[in-house]
Amino acid sequence: MRSAHAMRMEMRGGPHVEVYHYSAVFVVVTALLAVVIQAFLGRLGPVGKFVELPLLVTIYFGLSRRNASRGLLLGMTIGLMQDGISRVPVGLYGISKTVVGYLSSTIGARIDVEHPLSRLAFGFIFFHVQQVVLAATQRVLLGRPVPFFDRRLLLASLVNAVLAPLLFPLLDRFRKAD
Amino acid sequence: MLEVPFRHRPLLLLTAVLLIQILLLAFEIRRGDNARLIRIWAVEIVTPWQRAGTWVGSTLHSGWKDYVDLHHARVENQQLREQITKLAIRNHQLESQAREQERLERLLNFREAYPSVNMLAAEVIGANADASSQTLYINRGQRDGLARDMGVITPDGIVGKTLEVFAGTAQVLLINDKESGVGAMLASSRTHGVVKGLGQAQLRMDYVPNDEKMSNGEAVVTSGDDQIFPKDLPIGTVAGASAGNPFKIIFIQPAVRLDRLEEVLVLLSRDELAPQNMGEGSNSGGAPVTNAPAAASGVPQ
Repeated sequence: MRSAHAMRMEMRGGPHVEVYHYSAVFVVVTALLAVVIQAFLGRLGPVGKFVELPLLVTIYFGLSRRNASRGLLLGMTIGLMQDGISRVPVGLYGISKTVVGYLSSTIGARIDVEHPLSRLAFGFIFFHVQQVVLAATQRVLLGRPVPFFDRRLLLASLVNAVLAPLLFPLLDRFRKAD
Repeated sequence: MLEVPFRHRPLLLLTAVLLIQILLLAFEIRRGDNARLIRIWAVEIVTPWQRAGTWVGSTLHSGWKDYVDLHHARVENQQLREQITKLAIRNHQLESQAREQERLERLLNFREAYPSVNMLAAEVIGANADASSQTLYINRGQRDGLARDMGVITPDGIVGKTLEVFAGTAQVLLINDKESGVGAMLASSRTHGVVKGLGQAQLRMDYVPNDEKMSNGEAVVTSGDDQIFPKDLPIGTVAGASAGNPFKIIFIQPAVRLDRLEEVLVLLSRDELAPQNMGEGSNSGGAPVTNAPAAASGVPQ
């Protein structure tokens, strides 16, 4: 049975894009695990700090579920949890991941994002989207001169871009087609 | 009531959510209270998972470490066992060498104590093939100047006499062989008799009158009557005596462990063993001896 969203897309003459569903438990557990593992990764030294699992999970569910409202709410929840256990003001990651969740859901509803290369590209692009929102928020609200882009951020974005096509197929195993 | 088009709902929600968070952030920055409630919720939600993750991680790490340690311990144990085996063999070799060294040193001291006595060191290379006779083979023969009926001794006492002599080896009849007989006397009373073999560890002394008094442990030495051994070489000690008919029955414990012989001295002449210096090298029990021709052997010449 197709979702109302898929039917609307088809009626509008747009491309048929598959919409996937996940059990609520799986989404919650995955989001929680992403934040928990992220906290562990921080202990592994510089390499661990390059990885942004909560971001990758936000992107994945945004691209797969293709529902902007759910995407932004999940992004907000994950971001706020990340804020809650970090030493940053609460709302920083919340805002940035809300934006990422919304954008990834919107894009996922319009184009096919199954190909590993497109997943790699989304991993790279959304990392920088998050960074731009993070930097802008901190510059405007906190007055901190946080860079929008530098070499370390480039490296981190590449690491996450590579991880996206590796992680997403694992999560695909738990999805149910519309 | 204001109707929001369906397609604009997500955008409206995004705006609302962002606004709330920006306000939250601004409020937090202004008050500096660190949005404690959200932190508490986040920590309450995340920390049990972290704790479980830490427990699983540490359990796995500990299990893996135990496994690796166990594996290492097993390998190490095997290596140590091999090392122990090697060391035990080495230790045995060294002990054997030390004992051999000690025996050779005693032989050398004995010879040095009697430089005028013509004697030759020999190594025991084999024993008799049957249980009824008490003989052994030494690595000296005619080429070394050996002949039949030459006395064979150690620093502790007499061993026997040469029986069959070949080019490079000789057969020695031990004093405990049933065919053996040695002229003997009690060291203290100088009473003469004959010590015969019984085919056993102990010997028997014959021809000692019943009225002769003696005690256990009394030394029995060669008398020189047999024309093979010089006088006063130790044979053994009295192990027991009883009255017999017509002579006393005396059992002698040999001075030499005849079943553990490795090096011996062959007396090439019957010269009396007069020590060079009575104060030194007298571990022969007061027995006399001479120098021997050199021969290729692992034992002192």
